[in-house]
Amino acid sequence: MSRFLTLLFVCSLALTGFAQEDADRLTGVWEPSHGKAKIKIDKIGEKYYGKIVWLKQPIDPETNEPKVDKNNPDEKMRSNPLRGYRILKDFEYTDKDVWTEGTIYDPENGNTYSCTIKMTDENTLDIRGYIGVSTFGRTDIWKRLKMPSKK
Amino acid sequence: MRRPSLPKLRTGAAVAALSCFTIVTAFAQVDSTYSEEDEEDYSLYDDLEYVDEGTKRFANAKIKGLSPAQFISVGYDFQGPHQLTAAAFGDGLYQEETADINAAHGLRVGANIPVYSKNSLIVQVGGQFWDVNYDIDREAGGDNPLVNALQNNGLRTVGLNSTIYKPLNEYSFILVQLQADMNGDWAIPDFQGLQYTRYSGAALWGRRPKDNLQWGVGVARTYRAGELNYVPIVMYNWTSLKSKWGCEVLFPARGHMRYTFNPRNMLLMGFALEGGSYRIGNQGNALADPYDELEIRRGELRFRANYQRQLIGFFWMSLEAGYRVNYSFNVDSVPDGQDFSRYFILDEPLTMENALTNPFYVNFSINFVSP
Repeated sequence: MSRFLTLLFVCSLALTGFAQEDADRLTGVWEPSHGKAKIKIDKIGEKYYGKIVWLKQPIDPETNEPKVDKNNPDEKMRSNPLRGYRILKDFEYTDKDVWTEGTIYDPENGNTYSCTIKMTDENTLDIRGYIGVSTFGRTDIWKRLKMPSKK
Repeated sequence: MRRPSLPKLRTGAAVAALSCFTIVTAFAQVDSTYSEEDEEDYSLYDDLEYVDEGTKRFANAKIKGLSPAQFISVGYDFQGPHQLTAAAFGDGLYQEETADINAAHGLRVGANIPVYSKNSLIVQVGGQFWDVNYDIDREAGGDNPLVNALQNNGLRTVGLNSTIYKPLNEYSFILVQLQADMNGDWAIPDFQGLQYTRYSGAALWGRRPKDNLQWGVGVARTYRAGELNYVPIVMYNWTSLKSKWGCEVLFPARGHMRYTFNPRNMLLMGFALEGGSYRIGNQGNALADPYDELEIRRGELRFRANYQRQLIGFFWMSLEAGYRVNYSFNVDSVPDGQDFSRYFILDEPLTMENALTNPFYVNFSINFVSP
């Protein structure tokens, strides 16, 4: 009996480890289909967050200064730089290559949408931002980029 | 050395525990929009290669700064006082009548649901219901069948539509719109026969060379001028670099200049051409053969100012006011719904050539939008 329980315990630990590995495949640097930004997804605590690490046009042509979050509905946030901004927040791994419960922020209009992430293969994500229910949304395809090596 | 008393020890432990808890809680809550530890060398991300194959880029369906697309809209339209002169017809059978329309008003509901929405293809399916009720003062003895139909039944539209957006590559796209409408003086649940359904559509090829510019050319089969027409169409959407000014044009259906106070608050000024072919259902057999298959060719130009602003979240309001200019309120005989087009040149005689004066109007709606 005690051997059986030990085996069960070891198996459950192994399964947890595999699930964790599955979930962590989301981390890395990704490029949205428009190619105007690169997003780095990290794990913080038990959740996943993605921040802007590169912008194709980092300078605002209107101000000639680095782009800031000028469309944010919160006035206090409008002077914050876009680079480094966390646009993906609070994603949790469910199963079957899907991360849910998160949000995605669109700096172009200052709106935050509900979001689910589905990994269609190791290097491709379907990012679906939506309003209320998934029907009112749009899916964008992101591609994985090679992680940079430290200089 | 004096040893601390027990109560002091307890207090110290409690403070330490509380501090630890606070620190742990602070680390656990990752609500910050920024990475606090952010001392990242962002130059590392300048030249990264794809692990696998790269992204296939497609022209986005929108450009920056456009007024929000409406998923669901519920509104009310109100036209002020104007006058209708309904022509005599039927070789003296039906007499001319001039009626004062105190108001033409009604509910407008629309929905546009994306059933497939990826960056490589967007398919939307929608529906609409428009109602126009006429409040009319008539001359004593007036009995023109057109005025009777408007006064007793009003006009109604129920329709289905679909929009397909297919980007061909990063800069080019095709847009196709299809619509089927049942227009007439019918009442729920006594709909008119399906042979009176009017089909319209448009196909357009376009380019989106920049994030702030989108244009296209195409053709449309349309009832916007009242009767069936085939017309060339031009799309031109543009937003200034500072995102304050812009234009949204789909000529000849509509054209607006846009001023954006902020992304949640904007004013549009321009025109819209709106209309359809409405069957008069001959209720009570008031119309004698061969005048019992009539359709009102309603087309009107609306010069307007439209103010849109966010209420809460994705719910916006739209307040519109303007001047409605009559383009056509004539009547054709369309037996069995077998419609025809004059193609601008065919000299098919009208059954009734009516005159409609022009009122001011307002329209208010609450919309569930995609900004």
